[in-house]
Amino acid sequence: MLDHCSISHKGGAVLWSRSFTPAARTLAASAQSPVNSLIREALIEGRTSEEKYDKDGYAIKWTFLNEMELIFVVAYQRILQLTYIDDLLEAIKTLFLKMFEPFLTTFVASLHAVSSTTITTAKSLPVGAANWDFRTVFQSWDRVFDQVLKGLEAKAASERSSRLKAPAAAIETPPADDSSVAPTLSSERAVDEQAISRNVAAMKSKMRGGSQRAVGRKGAKNGGYSSGYGTASGNELPNIMFDSSDTPGKKKASKVMRKWGDQAPTESDMASLDFSYTSESTSTTGNQSANWKELVDEASLGVRGRDGSYEVKDWEFTEKGDLVSQTLATVGKQPGKPEKTTMGTLGSMFARLTGGKVLTDEDLKPILATMKEHLMKKNVAKDIADRVCDGVGKNLVGKKIGGFTSIKSSFQEALGASLTQILTPKTSTDVMQAIRTKLASPLSSTSVRSPYTMAFVGVNGVGKSTNLSKVCFWLIQNRLKVLIAACDTFRSGAVEQLRVHVRNLSMLTNDSPDLNRGSVELYEKGYGKDAAGIAKEAIAYAKENEFDVVLIDTAGRMQDNEPLMKALAKLVAINTPDKIIFVGEALVGNEAVDQLTKFDRALRDFSAAGSGGSIKGRGIDGMLVTKWDTVDDKVGAALSMTYVTGQPILFVGCGQTYTDLKQLRVANVVDALLAD
Amino acid sequence: MASPTPDVISIAAPLSLSSSLIAATAFVLALIAVYVYTRLKSRVKASDILILGASDAGKTAILSSLVYDHALPTHTSLQTNFSVVALPNAKRPWRVVDVPGHPRMRDQFREFLPQAKAVVFVVDVSTVARNGLLVAEHLHQVLHAITSLPPTQPTPLLLLLAHKSDLLTSSATSTAPQVAVTRLTTILERELEKRRVSQANGVGVEGLGEEESEEMGGLECAGAGPFKFAEWDGGEVTIIGSWVDVDRSDKSINEKEKVGTEIQSGLQDLRSWIEQLS
Ligand SMILES: Nc1nc2c(ncn2[C@@H]2O[C@H](COP(=O)(O)OP(=O)(O)OP(=O)(O)O)[C@@H](O)[C@H]2O)c(=O)[nH]1
Ligand SMILES: [Mg+2]
Repeated sequence: MLDHCSISHKGGAVLWSRSFTPAARTLAASAQSPVNSLIREALIEGRTSEEKYDKDGYAIKWTFLNEMELIFVVAYQRILQLTYIDDLLEAIKTLFLKMFEPFLTTFVASLHAVSSTTITTAKSLPVGAANWDFRTVFQSWDRVFDQVLKGLEAKAASERSSRLKAPAAAIETPPADDSSVAPTLSSERAVDEQAISRNVAAMKSKMRGGSQRAVGRKGAKNGGYSSGYGTASGNELPNIMFDSSDTPGKKKASKVMRKWGDQAPTESDMASLDFSYTSESTSTTGNQSANWKELVDEASLGVRGRDGSYEVKDWEFTEKGDLVSQTLATVGKQPGKPEKTTMGTLGSMFARLTGGKVLTDEDLKPILATMKEHLMKKNVAKDIADRVCDGVGKNLVGKKIGGFTSIKSSFQEALGASLTQILTPKTSTDVMQAIRTKLASPLSSTSVRSPYTMAFVGVNGVGKSTNLSKVCFWLIQNRLKVLIAACDTFRSGAVEQLRVHVRNLSMLTNDSPDLNRGSVELYEKGYGKDAAGIAKEAIAYAKENEFDVVLIDTAGRMQDNEPLMKALAKLVAINTPDKIIFVGEALVGNEAVDQLTKFDRALRDFSAAGSGGSIKGRGIDGMLVTKWDTVDDKVGAALSMTYVTGQPILFVGCGQTYTDLKQLRVANVVDALLAD
Repeated sequence: MASPTPDVISIAAPLSLSSSLIAATAFVLALIAVYVYTRLKSRVKASDILILGASDAGKTAILSSLVYDHALPTHTSLQTNFSVVALPNAKRPWRVVDVPGHPRMRDQFREFLPQAKAVVFVVDVSTVARNGLLVAEHLHQVLHAITSLPPTQPTPLLLLLAHKSDLLTSSATSTAPQVAVTRLTTILERELEKRRVSQANGVGVEGLGEEESEEMGGLECAGAGPFKFAEWDGGEVTIIGSWVDVDRSDKSINEKEKVGTEIQSGLQDLRSWIEQLS
């Protein structure tokens, strides 16, 4: 069902991973692995607060364990609507921390040397490679993971089948409850994932009501061991009994293990767990170790007591079961919510040991609200302010802050880092370098070199033509021969406006004493004609006459006007400009999100459709933000635009003259956004 | 007993005042001394080795080999790693700083440059033919940053690491690491030369705001010819080949045995280079 699961450190080291198919394994080892895509395209861009990330048919879900800087990732085929992934992530997160906390603490410390003199930390560790034998340390994890996964899969399967078979008969619940469950049966196929999980949650709570009673009875008899789910009618449901700690030499356990087939079950799971624990934690001992052993003992007792008793009443796990089922039970009870109790106590324990404070959701709530408000005052779109701040919060929960740092300052620091990351371009913004590179390397097929083309797109009245002229001026100053293609064949006056600009620019360049200067020409075909065609002709003309750069001016259009958006996509698909530049106003607030999302999507979708869908459509490559001088420090639009597209702001227009074109300095924008 | 009180006050007050003043001054002086001392110390002591390079070049794999004695599988780093590496024959332990190579994060290296004893720029030689332009852009930024350090700060040594040389095949006359070194040198020198030429062409880029008004240098060479690492003005450049064998969990035990010895040889030159740093 799953394709890949991994547990890794934010610094990049993978502690444990498993691929479930050979294809997934090959993919996981490559640079294009789902985890890498998740990090590069979502996490680094501040999309941490999102629920799910889709890539190449995969759905990827993740969770952070910030106290250990770990990321837990699960990738599965998107068409499978797996309902248990959140539970799985929470369960493995809790268990992994419980089992390996001392080792993880040492490991994280080894990646946070303050100076080369903090060798003390490293020295206090037992020396030798054996200590860092990650495989041995995490050996016991494979089995635990299998158990968790099997348990949750079985649980999900039983939930599915219990919904298919008459639930009223199957579950000992009052009939009143069933009315809400029944409708899901008819619309089974059609319900979306959310609806399914809602129903599941609803059902869980109902079933739990029954289960608790059953367990109460059973628990006294057999040491409180969990039991499977069975229907009263005795249907042969898959045995979803959760035998998590039953591995010590039990028949059923070995069957389970063989199915997974990665290693033969050892003599005793317990022994191996104990072994791994002691071998890894020579430096740290404490309560946790005792706790863990207690739990294991309890669990194995439970197993012994369970022998022979096959009275399956319910799939719910008891409170007194082993560690695995206990954890599962807790995650099951709080669907979608992090497992508070265990994590909370562990967290505070951690804090007490080391001094300082562990940040909780509660701590962050007020500061999150203030900072969202603050960003919105800076004209960041509401949606973006929410997502950015929530993302930062997600990265902070569980983190320990020093005794002298306030929550506010640590949040602001993290926010600053995140904003810097979002605003810093992921591709080069050196347009001049790109132009020179293209001009220096002619296509091998033709001896004629092709010009560098830029298309300027955007909504009406944002200053496309004016700023295109500024870019043109800059290019001319750099001695390039520029052709402007007047492809706004829609708005009356558009062509004339460009004519004026070209005349001005020509005059300016003619005044310059430099003989080897740049120049500009206008390519126009009047109004009403097909813009894509004119652009094509212009590029051909530019090629013949050895122009260096073609700037394509397009008609402004509203993002909701589908025919016009399609026309724009056609222009892009036919002419494949080197850069598609979205021109937007710095004044734009919440609208920014809608504009950019729709422009980007329309360009991608429609230009891909033109090529038969085989080629991925082209989106926006960068932005030019106009009227920058009018917003003072309310520079939020810069953040909104970069966040939505993931693309850089190439230029900002900041005045009325041709020289009023600047590049952005990320640090300045971040400072302005954070300034009070 | 009531009468002497004013006297006591009149005498004691100035005394205590002056003594507390002295104490305060001494305290402040001590603070300043400590501050200056730590500043001096931190300036003089360059104790870091920076590992830079493009994303997926192999930086974290190298770090984990140095620290944990075997290369862990990795994914794109989200944050910088700082580890202490104490090689048996090294003059001292070094702090190795692995800065993520993603373009959105790689600029963070500037923060660590002042304490850097050495900069190791890792290049994935199996893809450098394709990514030459992007790698050169990144390297150019690093070279520029190194040459723009204020004179009071020690200039870090530069090592170019032709990494993943296990993915190249050795030729009749040279081993795979040698092939890797040649490839890296040829491609990056060519790409850096292109950058130098395009900038040196007359006026260069016409200023656009603050960012571009400062022309990016760092590519000056001693000779008049094209860019050569051997003639770089910023200092000596060492280029060596390397590779690690990543310890993936799906390998058999036999393969694992082999891995142990390979790691030794794959990073041997890098280790030796670190060991001679002082
Ligand atoms: N064949 C081969 N693969 C290597 C070698 N070194 C690293 N790799 C692989 O290259 C990939 C990238 O290595 P990383 O160490 O994560 O790269 P990085 O430079 O840290 O990348 P960022 O963290 O994104 O900056 C991983 O899949 C490694 O397993 C090598 O010497 N040979
Ligand atoms: Mg890395």
